[in-house]
Amino acid sequence: MSTTPTVHFEAASTLAVVVSSHEPLLFLSDDLKIIAASASFCRAFDIDPTSVPGKKLGELGHGEWAMPKLESLLKATASRSADIQAYEIDLKRPNGGTRQLVVNAQTLDDGDVEHIRLLVAVTDVTDARAEARLKDDLARDKAILLQEVQHRVANSLQIIASVLMQSARRVQSEEARGHLHNAHHRVMSIAALQRQLSTSPGGSVELRTYLKQLCQSLGASMIADPSRLSIHVSADDSAVEADVSVSLGLIVTELVINALKHAFPDERTGTVMIDYRSSGRDWTLAVADNGIGMAVGRDAPKAGLGTGIVEALVKNLDGEITLSDAGPGTIVTIDHQESAGLRADLSPSVYAR
Amino acid sequence: MRNGKPVILVVEDSALIRMGAVDLVLHAGYEALEACDADAAIRILEVRNDIDLVFTDVQMPGTMDGIKLSHYIRDRWPPVKLIVASGATILEESLLPSGGQFFSKPYDYHTITDAMARLLLSESPRSPTA
Repeated sequence: MSTTPTVHFEAASTLAVVVSSHEPLLFLSDDLKIIAASASFCRAFDIDPTSVPGKKLGELGHGEWAMPKLESLLKATASRSADIQAYEIDLKRPNGGTRQLVVNAQTLDDGDVEHIRLLVAVTDVTDARAEARLKDDLARDKAILLQEVQHRVANSLQIIASVLMQSARRVQSEEARGHLHNAHHRVMSIAALQRQLSTSPGGSVELRTYLKQLCQSLGASMIADPSRLSIHVSADDSAVEADVSVSLGLIVTELVINALKHAFPDERTGTVMIDYRSSGRDWTLAVADNGIGMAVGRDAPKAGLGTGIVEALVKNLDGEITLSDAGPGTIVTIDHQESAGLRADLSPSVYAR
Repeated sequence: MRNGKPVILVVEDSALIRMGAVDLVLHAGYEALEACDADAAIRILEVRNDIDLVFTDVQMPGTMDGIKLSHYIRDRWPPVKLIVASGATILEESLLPSGGQFFSKPYDYHTITDAMARLLLSESPRSPTA
Protein backbone atom coordinates (compact mmCIF):
# COMPACT_ATOMS: atom_id res chain seq x y z
CA MET A 1 0.00 0.00 0.00
CA SER A 2 1.26 3.52 0.73
CA THR A 3 4.97 3.59 1.48
CA THR A 4 4.99 7.22 2.53
CA PRO A 5 6.09 7.36 6.17
CA THR A 6 3.23 8.99 8.02
CA VAL A 7 4.74 9.32 11.43
CA HIS A 8 2.63 12.11 12.83
CA PHE A 9 -0.37 12.19 10.59
CA GLU A 10 -3.10 9.67 10.16
CA ALA A 11 -4.75 9.14 6.84
CA ALA A 12 -7.68 11.52 6.53
CA SER A 13 -9.90 8.64 5.52
CA THR A 14 -9.12 6.75 8.76
CA LEU A 15 -9.98 9.81 10.82
CA ALA A 16 -13.17 10.34 8.83
CA VAL A 17 -14.23 6.75 9.42
CA VAL A 18 -13.60 7.07 13.15
CA VAL A 19 -15.41 10.41 13.47
CA SER A 20 -18.46 9.23 11.58
CA SER A 21 -18.77 5.87 13.41
CA HIS A 22 -22.25 5.26 14.65
CA GLU A 23 -20.88 3.33 17.60
CA PRO A 24 -19.05 5.53 20.11
CA LEU A 25 -15.43 5.05 19.14
CA LEU A 26 -12.03 6.32 20.30
CA PHE A 27 -8.88 6.19 18.24
CA LEU A 28 -5.82 6.23 20.51
CA SER A 29 -2.07 6.17 20.21
CA ASP A 30 -0.17 3.57 22.23
CA ASP A 31 0.47 6.11 25.00
CA LEU A 32 -3.32 6.56 25.22
CA LYS A 33 -3.42 9.97 23.58
CA ILE A 34 -6.58 10.58 21.64
CA ILE A 35 -6.08 10.92 17.93
CA ALA A 36 -9.78 11.10 17.17
CA ALA A 37 -13.13 10.47 18.81
CA SER A 38 -16.36 9.75 16.97
CA ALA A 39 -19.08 12.36 17.05
CA SER A 40 -21.29 9.70 18.60
CA PHE A 41 -18.81 9.29 21.47
CA CYS A 42 -18.72 13.04 22.15
CA ARG A 43 -22.52 13.18 22.06
CA ALA A 44 -23.02 10.15 24.30
CA PHE A 45 -20.55 11.27 26.95
CA ASP A 46 -21.02 15.04 26.77
CA ILE A 47 -17.61 15.94 25.47
CA ASP A 48 -16.73 18.99 23.36
CA PRO A 49 -15.36 17.51 20.09
CA THR A 50 -12.91 20.37 19.59
CA SER A 51 -11.29 19.68 22.95
CA VAL A 52 -10.50 16.08 22.16
CA PRO A 53 -7.49 15.70 19.82
CA GLY A 54 -4.12 15.40 21.55
CA LYS A 55 -5.58 14.90 25.00
CA LYS A 56 -4.82 11.88 27.10
CA LEU A 57 -7.72 9.58 27.84
CA GLY A 58 -7.58 10.54 31.52
CA GLU A 59 -7.90 14.24 30.66
CA LEU A 60 -11.13 13.87 28.68
CA GLY A 61 -14.09 15.87 29.92
CA HIS A 62 -13.69 16.47 33.64
CA GLY A 63 -11.25 13.62 34.15
CA GLU A 64 -13.95 10.97 34.60
CA TRP A 65 -12.17 8.71 32.10
CA ALA A 66 -9.09 8.46 34.31
CA MET A 67 -9.77 4.88 35.33
CA PRO A 68 -6.55 3.03 36.24
CA LYS A 69 -7.97 -0.37 35.44
CA LEU A 70 -9.14 0.68 31.96
CA GLU A 71 -5.80 2.36 31.30
CA SER A 72 -3.79 -0.70 32.21
CA LEU A 73 -6.02 -2.89 30.06
CA LEU A 74 -5.61 -0.52 27.12
CA LYS A 75 -1.85 -0.51 27.62
CA ALA A 76 -1.88 -4.30 27.61
CA THR A 77 -3.82 -4.19 24.37
CA ALA A 78 -1.33 -1.72 22.88
CA SER A 79 1.53 -4.03 23.78
CA ARG A 80 -0.46 -6.76 22.03
CA SER A 81 -0.63 -9.00 25.06
CA ALA A 82 -4.45 -8.96 25.11
CA ASP A 83 -7.48 -7.66 23.32
CA ILE A 84 -10.26 -6.22 25.41
CA GLN A 85 -13.50 -7.98 24.75
CA ALA A 86 -16.74 -6.84 26.32
CA TYR A 87 -15.01 -5.45 29.38
CA GLU A 88 -17.54 -3.93 31.74
CA ILE A 89 -16.74 -0.83 33.71
CA ASP A 90 -18.69 1.88 35.52
CA LEU A 91 -18.20 5.47 34.40
CA LYS A 92 -18.83 8.03 37.12
CA ARG A 93 -20.24 11.04 35.32
CA PRO A 94 -19.24 14.49 36.63
CA ASN A 95 -22.92 15.24 37.25
CA GLY A 96 -23.04 12.35 39.73
CA GLY A 97 -24.67 9.65 37.59
CA THR A 98 -23.04 6.29 36.94
CA ARG A 99 -23.18 4.67 33.52
CA GLN A 100 -22.49 1.02 32.81
CA LEU A 101 -20.10 0.70 29.88
CA VAL A 102 -19.04 -2.22 27.76
CA VAL A 103 -15.59 -1.66 26.24
CA ASN A 104 -14.04 -3.46 23.31
CA ALA A 105 -10.55 -2.57 22.18
CA GLN A 106 -8.04 -3.79 19.64
CA THR A 107 -5.02 -2.49 17.81
CA LEU A 108 -5.54 -1.08 14.35
CA ASP A 109 -4.33 -3.67 11.90
CA ASP A 110 -3.13 -1.55 8.98
CA GLY A 111 0.30 -3.06 8.49
CA ASP A 112 2.11 -0.17 10.18
CA VAL A 113 3.99 -1.94 12.99
CA GLU A 114 5.94 1.16 13.94
CA HIS A 115 2.94 3.04 15.14
CA ILE A 116 0.56 1.12 17.33
CA ARG A 117 -2.88 2.65 17.52
CA LEU A 118 -5.95 1.46 19.35
CA LEU A 119 -9.57 1.35 18.34
CA VAL A 120 -11.74 1.50 21.42
CA ALA A 121 -15.49 1.00 21.15
CA VAL A 122 -17.47 2.15 24.16
CA THR A 123 -21.10 1.16 24.49
CA ASP A 124 -23.32 2.61 27.18
CA VAL A 125 -25.55 -0.31 28.24
CA THR A 126 -27.12 1.40 31.27
CA ASP A 127 -30.52 1.88 29.66
CA ALA A 128 -30.56 -1.54 27.97
CA ARG A 129 -29.67 -3.21 31.26
CA ALA A 130 -32.34 -1.28 33.14
CA GLU A 131 -34.85 -2.28 30.51
CA ALA A 132 -33.85 -5.94 30.74
CA ARG A 133 -34.16 -5.76 34.53
CA LEU A 134 -37.58 -4.16 34.21
CA LYS A 135 -38.61 -6.93 31.83
CA ASP A 136 -37.45 -9.58 34.31
CA ASP A 137 -39.35 -7.83 37.08
CA LEU A 138 -42.46 -7.66 34.92
CA ALA A 139 -42.19 -11.33 34.01
CA ARG A 140 -41.85 -12.23 37.68
CA ASP A 141 -44.78 -10.01 38.66
CA LYS A 142 -46.84 -11.60 35.92
CA ALA A 143 -46.02 -15.10 37.14
CA ILE A 144 -46.98 -14.16 40.71
CA LEU A 145 -50.17 -12.53 39.53
CA LEU A 146 -51.06 -15.56 37.43
CA GLN A 147 -50.49 -17.84 40.39
CA GLU A 148 -52.68 -15.58 42.50
CA VAL A 149 -55.43 -15.71 39.89
CA GLN A 150 -55.19 -19.49 39.72
CA HIS A 151 -55.58 -19.69 43.50
CA ARG A 152 -58.62 -17.50 43.32
CA VAL A 153 -60.16 -19.50 40.50
CA ALA A 154 -59.53 -22.76 42.38
CA ASN A 155 -61.07 -21.29 45.52
CA SER A 156 -64.09 -19.95 43.65
CA LEU A 157 -64.66 -23.33 42.02
CA GLN A 158 -64.34 -24.93 45.45
CA ILE A 159 -67.01 -22.60 46.82
CA ILE A 160 -69.36 -23.48 43.96
CA ALA A 161 -68.64 -27.21 44.33
CA SER A 162 -69.16 -27.02 48.12
CA VAL A 163 -72.45 -25.21 47.82
CA LEU A 164 -73.71 -27.68 45.18
CA MET A 165 -72.73 -30.67 47.31
CA GLN A 166 -74.41 -29.21 50.39
CA SER A 167 -77.59 -28.54 48.43
CA ALA A 168 -77.50 -32.06 47.01
CA ARG A 169 -77.36 -33.46 50.52
CA ARG A 170 -80.24 -31.37 51.76
CA VAL A 171 -82.83 -31.71 49.01
CA GLN A 172 -85.55 -34.31 49.47
CA SER A 173 -86.25 -35.10 45.82
CA GLU A 174 -84.10 -37.78 44.24
CA GLU A 175 -84.43 -36.08 40.86
CA ALA A 176 -83.27 -32.71 42.19
CA ARG A 177 -80.36 -34.43 43.90
CA GLY A 178 -79.37 -36.00 40.58
CA HIS A 179 -79.39 -32.62 38.88
CA LEU A 180 -77.30 -31.03 41.61
CA HIS A 181 -74.79 -33.88 41.41
CA ASN A 182 -74.57 -33.41 37.65
CA ALA A 183 -73.98 -29.70 38.12
CA HIS A 184 -71.24 -30.61 40.57
CA HIS A 185 -69.63 -32.95 38.02
CA ARG A 186 -69.68 -30.17 35.41
CA VAL A 187 -67.95 -27.77 37.78
CA MET A 188 -65.33 -30.39 38.61
CA SER A 189 -64.82 -31.01 34.90
CA ILE A 190 -64.01 -27.36 34.34
CA ALA A 191 -61.77 -27.45 37.40
CA ALA A 192 -59.80 -30.35 35.92
CA LEU A 193 -59.16 -28.23 32.85
CA GLN A 194 -58.15 -25.24 34.96
CA ARG A 195 -55.64 -27.43 36.76
CA GLN A 196 -54.27 -28.76 33.50
CA LEU A 197 -54.02 -25.25 32.02
CA SER A 198 -52.11 -23.88 34.97
CA THR A 199 -49.40 -26.47 34.43
CA SER A 200 -49.17 -26.07 30.65
CA PRO A 201 -47.39 -22.81 29.89
CA GLY A 202 -48.30 -22.38 26.21
CA GLY A 203 -52.05 -22.16 26.77
CA SER A 204 -52.52 -25.45 24.93
CA VAL A 205 -53.75 -28.52 26.71
CA GLU A 206 -52.29 -31.98 26.44
CA LEU A 207 -55.44 -34.08 26.05
CA ARG A 208 -54.38 -37.45 27.40
CA THR A 209 -53.40 -36.12 30.83
CA TYR A 210 -56.41 -33.86 30.94
CA LEU A 211 -58.94 -36.55 29.99
CA LYS A 212 -57.36 -39.00 32.42
CA GLN A 213 -57.56 -36.47 35.24
CA LEU A 214 -61.11 -35.60 34.30
CA CYS A 215 -62.26 -39.21 34.26
CA GLN A 216 -60.44 -39.97 37.48
CA SER A 217 -62.38 -37.15 39.12
CA LEU A 218 -65.66 -38.34 37.58
CA GLY A 219 -64.97 -41.90 38.67
CA ALA A 220 -64.05 -40.83 42.20
CA SER A 221 -67.38 -39.13 42.68
CA MET A 222 -69.66 -41.43 40.64
CA ILE A 223 -68.31 -44.94 41.01
CA ALA A 224 -68.99 -46.43 44.41
CA ASP A 225 -67.50 -49.82 43.59
CA PRO A 226 -64.42 -49.59 41.34
CA SER A 227 -64.37 -53.36 40.93
CA ARG A 228 -67.77 -53.14 39.23
CA LEU A 229 -67.36 -50.08 36.99
CA SER A 230 -64.29 -48.43 35.54
CA ILE A 231 -63.36 -45.69 33.11
CA HIS A 232 -60.55 -46.13 30.63
CA VAL A 233 -58.95 -43.29 28.68
CA SER A 234 -56.78 -43.62 25.61
CA ALA A 235 -55.60 -40.72 23.49
CA ASP A 236 -52.75 -39.90 21.15
CA ASP A 237 -50.30 -37.10 21.87
CA SER A 238 -52.67 -34.35 20.74
CA ALA A 239 -52.63 -30.95 22.37
CA VAL A 240 -55.44 -28.51 21.69
CA GLU A 241 -56.28 -24.91 22.48
CA ALA A 242 -57.82 -24.16 25.84
CA ASP A 243 -61.30 -23.32 24.54
CA VAL A 244 -61.43 -26.49 22.43
CA SER A 245 -60.33 -28.56 25.40
CA VAL A 246 -63.06 -27.13 27.63
CA SER A 247 -65.65 -28.20 25.06
CA LEU A 248 -64.14 -31.66 24.66
CA GLY A 249 -63.95 -32.02 28.44
CA LEU A 250 -67.59 -31.08 28.93
CA ILE A 251 -68.70 -33.43 26.14
CA VAL A 252 -66.77 -36.29 27.78
CA THR A 253 -68.24 -35.34 31.17
CA GLU A 254 -71.81 -35.50 29.87
CA LEU A 255 -71.31 -38.74 27.95
CA VAL A 256 -69.54 -40.44 30.86
CA ILE A 257 -72.20 -39.32 33.37
CA ASN A 258 -74.83 -40.64 30.99
CA ALA A 259 -73.13 -43.99 30.48
CA LEU A 260 -72.45 -44.53 34.18
CA LYS A 261 -76.03 -43.65 35.02
CA HIS A 262 -77.94 -45.60 32.40
CA ALA A 263 -75.76 -48.27 30.80
CA PHE A 264 -75.18 -50.42 33.86
CA PRO A 265 -78.42 -51.02 35.77
CA ASP A 266 -78.90 -53.81 38.31
CA GLU A 267 -75.30 -53.98 39.50
CA ARG A 268 -74.03 -54.81 36.02
CA THR A 269 -70.27 -54.65 35.67
CA GLY A 270 -68.63 -52.80 32.83
CA THR A 271 -66.27 -50.20 31.44
CA VAL A 272 -66.62 -46.80 29.85
CA MET A 273 -63.91 -46.17 27.25
CA ILE A 274 -62.85 -42.77 25.99
CA ASP A 275 -60.66 -42.49 22.95
CA TYR A 276 -59.30 -39.46 21.11
CA ARG A 277 -57.32 -39.51 17.85
CA SER A 278 -56.33 -36.73 15.53
CA SER A 279 -54.74 -36.52 12.14
CA GLY A 280 -53.82 -33.08 10.92
CA ARG A 281 -56.80 -30.91 11.72
CA ASP A 282 -59.25 -33.81 11.75
CA TRP A 283 -60.08 -35.55 14.97
CA THR A 284 -62.36 -38.20 16.43
CA LEU A 285 -63.59 -38.51 19.97
CA ALA A 286 -65.33 -41.73 20.95
CA VAL A 287 -67.06 -42.60 24.20
CA ALA A 288 -68.04 -46.25 24.35
CA ASP A 289 -69.57 -48.47 27.01
CA ASN A 290 -70.23 -52.20 27.18
CA GLY A 291 -73.53 -51.80 28.99
CA ILE A 292 -77.12 -52.61 28.07
CA GLY A 293 -77.15 -50.46 24.95
CA MET A 294 -79.32 -47.47 24.23
CA ALA A 295 -83.02 -47.67 23.73
CA VAL A 296 -83.92 -46.41 20.28
CA GLY A 297 -87.12 -45.34 18.60
CA ARG A 298 -90.21 -45.59 20.78
CA ASP A 299 -88.27 -46.30 24.00
CA ALA A 300 -85.62 -43.62 23.51
CA PRO A 301 -85.42 -41.51 26.64
CA LYS A 302 -86.38 -37.87 26.40
CA ALA A 303 -83.36 -35.69 25.72
CA GLY A 304 -82.16 -33.96 28.89
CA LEU A 305 -79.86 -31.07 29.60
CA GLY A 306 -76.85 -33.33 29.04
CA THR A 307 -77.89 -34.08 25.45
CA GLY A 308 -78.46 -30.39 24.85
CA ILE A 309 -75.02 -29.52 26.16
CA VAL A 310 -73.35 -32.17 24.02
CA GLU A 311 -75.19 -31.12 20.86
CA ALA A 312 -74.43 -27.45 21.34
CA LEU A 313 -70.74 -28.08 22.00
CA VAL A 314 -70.36 -30.50 19.10
CA LYS A 315 -71.96 -28.00 16.75
CA ASN A 316 -69.61 -25.35 18.04
CA LEU A 317 -66.63 -27.59 17.26
CA ASP A 318 -67.94 -28.28 13.73
CA GLY A 319 -68.30 -31.90 14.61
CA GLU A 320 -70.76 -34.64 13.79
CA ILE A 321 -72.26 -37.04 16.30
CA THR A 322 -72.84 -40.68 15.48
CA LEU A 323 -74.58 -43.02 17.84
CA SER A 324 -74.09 -46.69 17.19
CA ASP A 325 -74.66 -50.06 18.74
CA ALA A 326 -71.46 -51.62 20.03
CA GLY A 327 -73.07 -54.99 20.80
CA PRO A 328 -72.88 -54.98 23.76
CA GLY A 329 -73.23 -51.35 24.63
CA THR A 330 -73.18 -48.05 22.83
CA ILE A 331 -70.57 -45.96 21.05
CA VAL A 332 -70.95 -42.23 20.66
CA THR A 333 -68.51 -40.89 18.09
CA ILE A 334 -67.82 -37.24 17.46
CA ASP A 335 -66.02 -36.56 14.23
CA HIS A 336 -64.49 -33.38 13.01
CA GLN A 337 -63.38 -33.34 9.40
CA GLU A 338 -61.90 -30.02 8.34
CA SER A 339 -63.06 -30.53 4.73
CA ALA A 340 -66.58 -31.38 5.92
CA GLY A 341 -67.14 -27.93 7.40
CA LEU A 342 -68.50 -26.56 4.11
CA ARG A 343 -71.10 -29.21 3.48
CA ALA A 344 -72.19 -29.53 7.11
CA ASP A 345 -75.50 -27.87 6.38
CA LEU A 346 -76.30 -30.32 3.61
CA SER A 347 -75.53 -33.51 5.50
CA PRO A 348 -78.52 -35.26 6.99
CA SER A 349 -78.94 -35.26 10.72
CA VAL A 350 -77.51 -38.37 12.32
CA TYR A 351 -80.67 -38.81 14.30
CA ALA A 352 -82.76 -38.96 11.14
CA ARG A 353 -81.27 -42.24 9.97
CA MET B 1 -61.91 -39.73 69.49
CA ARG B 2 -65.01 -38.56 71.25
CA ASN B 3 -67.75 -41.04 72.09
CA GLY B 4 -66.18 -43.49 69.66
CA LYS B 5 -66.22 -40.99 66.81
CA PRO B 6 -63.02 -39.64 65.25
CA VAL B 7 -62.69 -35.86 65.68
CA ILE B 8 -61.61 -33.78 62.69
CA LEU B 9 -60.53 -30.14 62.82
CA VAL B 10 -61.27 -28.16 59.65
CA VAL B 11 -59.02 -25.11 59.09
CA GLU B 12 -60.19 -22.84 56.26
CA ASP B 13 -60.56 -19.07 55.99
CA SER B 14 -63.34 -19.05 53.39
CA ALA B 15 -66.63 -19.37 55.28
CA LEU B 16 -68.48 -21.20 52.50
CA ILE B 17 -65.72 -23.69 51.83
CA ARG B 18 -65.36 -24.27 55.58
CA MET B 19 -69.08 -24.88 55.83
CA GLY B 20 -68.85 -27.41 53.01
CA ALA B 21 -65.86 -29.12 54.59
CA VAL B 22 -67.63 -29.38 57.95
CA ASP B 23 -70.65 -30.82 56.13
CA LEU B 24 -68.36 -33.36 54.44
CA VAL B 25 -66.85 -34.39 57.79
CA LEU B 26 -70.22 -34.75 59.51
CA HIS B 27 -71.65 -36.63 56.56
CA ALA B 28 -68.76 -39.10 56.74
CA GLY B 29 -69.75 -39.80 60.33
CA TYR B 30 -67.05 -37.90 62.16
CA GLU B 31 -67.18 -35.13 64.68
CA ALA B 32 -66.19 -31.71 63.25
CA LEU B 33 -64.42 -28.74 64.78
CA GLU B 34 -63.65 -25.60 62.81
CA ALA B 35 -61.07 -22.82 62.75
CA CYS B 36 -60.66 -19.91 60.35
CA ASP B 37 -56.86 -19.74 60.51
CA ALA B 38 -53.76 -21.44 61.90
CA ASP B 39 -53.75 -19.47 65.15
CA ALA B 40 -57.33 -20.40 65.93
CA ALA B 41 -56.53 -24.02 65.05
CA ILE B 42 -53.61 -24.10 67.48
CA ARG B 43 -55.76 -22.62 70.26
CA ILE B 44 -58.25 -25.44 69.73
CA LEU B 45 -55.53 -28.11 69.59
CA GLU B 46 -54.13 -26.77 72.88
CA VAL B 47 -57.39 -27.30 74.77
CA ARG B 48 -58.60 -30.50 73.11
CA ASN B 49 -56.71 -33.74 73.30
CA ASP B 50 -59.18 -35.76 71.24
CA ILE B 51 -58.42 -34.45 67.74
CA ASP B 52 -57.48 -37.24 65.34
CA LEU B 53 -57.05 -35.40 62.06
CA VAL B 54 -56.59 -31.82 60.81
CA PHE B 55 -57.91 -30.92 57.35
CA THR B 56 -56.38 -27.57 56.42
CA ASP B 57 -56.26 -25.05 53.61
CA VAL B 58 -52.84 -23.64 52.61
CA GLN B 59 -53.32 -19.97 51.80
CA MET B 60 -54.73 -18.31 54.90
CA PRO B 61 -54.24 -14.98 56.61
CA GLY B 62 -52.43 -14.97 59.95
CA THR B 63 -48.99 -15.96 61.16
CA MET B 64 -48.85 -19.38 59.53
CA ASP B 65 -50.06 -20.90 56.29
CA GLY B 66 -51.35 -24.46 56.11
CA ILE B 67 -47.91 -25.91 55.34
CA LYS B 68 -46.31 -24.28 58.39
CA LEU B 69 -49.31 -25.27 60.48
CA SER B 70 -48.99 -28.91 59.42
CA HIS B 71 -45.32 -28.98 60.46
CA TYR B 72 -46.13 -27.28 63.74
CA ILE B 73 -48.82 -29.86 64.44
CA ARG B 74 -46.54 -32.75 63.53
CA ASP B 75 -43.92 -31.42 65.97
CA ARG B 76 -46.26 -30.71 68.87
CA TRP B 77 -48.93 -33.36 68.39
CA PRO B 78 -47.23 -36.15 66.40
CA PRO B 79 -50.19 -38.58 66.30
CA VAL B 80 -52.55 -36.10 64.60
CA LYS B 81 -53.12 -37.01 60.93
CA LEU B 82 -52.88 -34.29 58.29
CA ILE B 83 -54.72 -33.51 55.06
CA VAL B 84 -53.80 -30.33 53.19
CA ALA B 85 -55.78 -28.76 50.33
CA SER B 86 -54.53 -25.88 48.22
CA GLY B 87 -55.53 -23.76 45.26
CA ALA B 88 -52.01 -24.25 43.94
CA THR B 89 -51.92 -27.02 41.37
CA ILE B 90 -48.45 -28.25 42.04
CA LEU B 91 -47.56 -28.62 45.64
CA GLU B 92 -44.87 -31.07 46.44
CA GLU B 93 -46.01 -33.56 49.01
CA SER B 94 -42.41 -33.38 50.21
CA LEU B 95 -43.20 -29.93 51.59
CA LEU B 96 -45.57 -31.63 54.02
CA PRO B 97 -44.61 -33.60 57.11
CA SER B 98 -44.29 -37.30 56.32
CA GLY B 99 -47.63 -39.07 56.04
CA GLY B 100 -49.45 -35.80 55.28
CA GLN B 101 -51.66 -35.91 52.21
CA PHE B 102 -52.09 -33.16 49.67
CA PHE B 103 -55.09 -32.45 47.43
CA SER B 104 -55.60 -29.57 45.04
CA LYS B 105 -58.75 -27.47 45.06
CA PRO B 106 -61.47 -27.92 44.13
CA TYR B 107 -61.32 -31.28 45.83
CA ASP B 108 -63.79 -34.04 45.33
CA TYR B 109 -65.75 -34.94 48.47
CA HIS B 110 -65.30 -38.68 48.00
CA THR B 111 -61.59 -38.36 47.47
CA ILE B 112 -61.25 -36.44 50.73
CA THR B 113 -63.46 -38.76 52.77
CA ASP B 114 -61.58 -41.78 51.37
CA ALA B 115 -58.28 -40.20 52.40
CA MET B 116 -59.69 -39.44 55.86
CA ALA B 117 -60.86 -43.01 56.32
CA ARG B 118 -57.50 -44.39 55.22
CA LEU B 119 -55.49 -42.07 57.46
CA LEU B 120 -57.73 -42.71 60.47
CA LEU B 121 -57.35 -46.47 60.04
CA SER B 122 -53.58 -46.29 59.91
CA GLU B 123 -51.70 -46.32 63.19
CA SER B 124 -49.28 -43.46 63.74
CA PRO B 125 -46.03 -45.34 63.19
CA ARG B 126 -47.34 -47.18 60.18
CA SER B 127 -47.66 -45.47 56.84
CA PRO B 128 -51.16 -45.44 55.37
CA THR B 129 -51.94 -48.45 53.23
CA ALA B 130 -52.54 -47.74 49.57
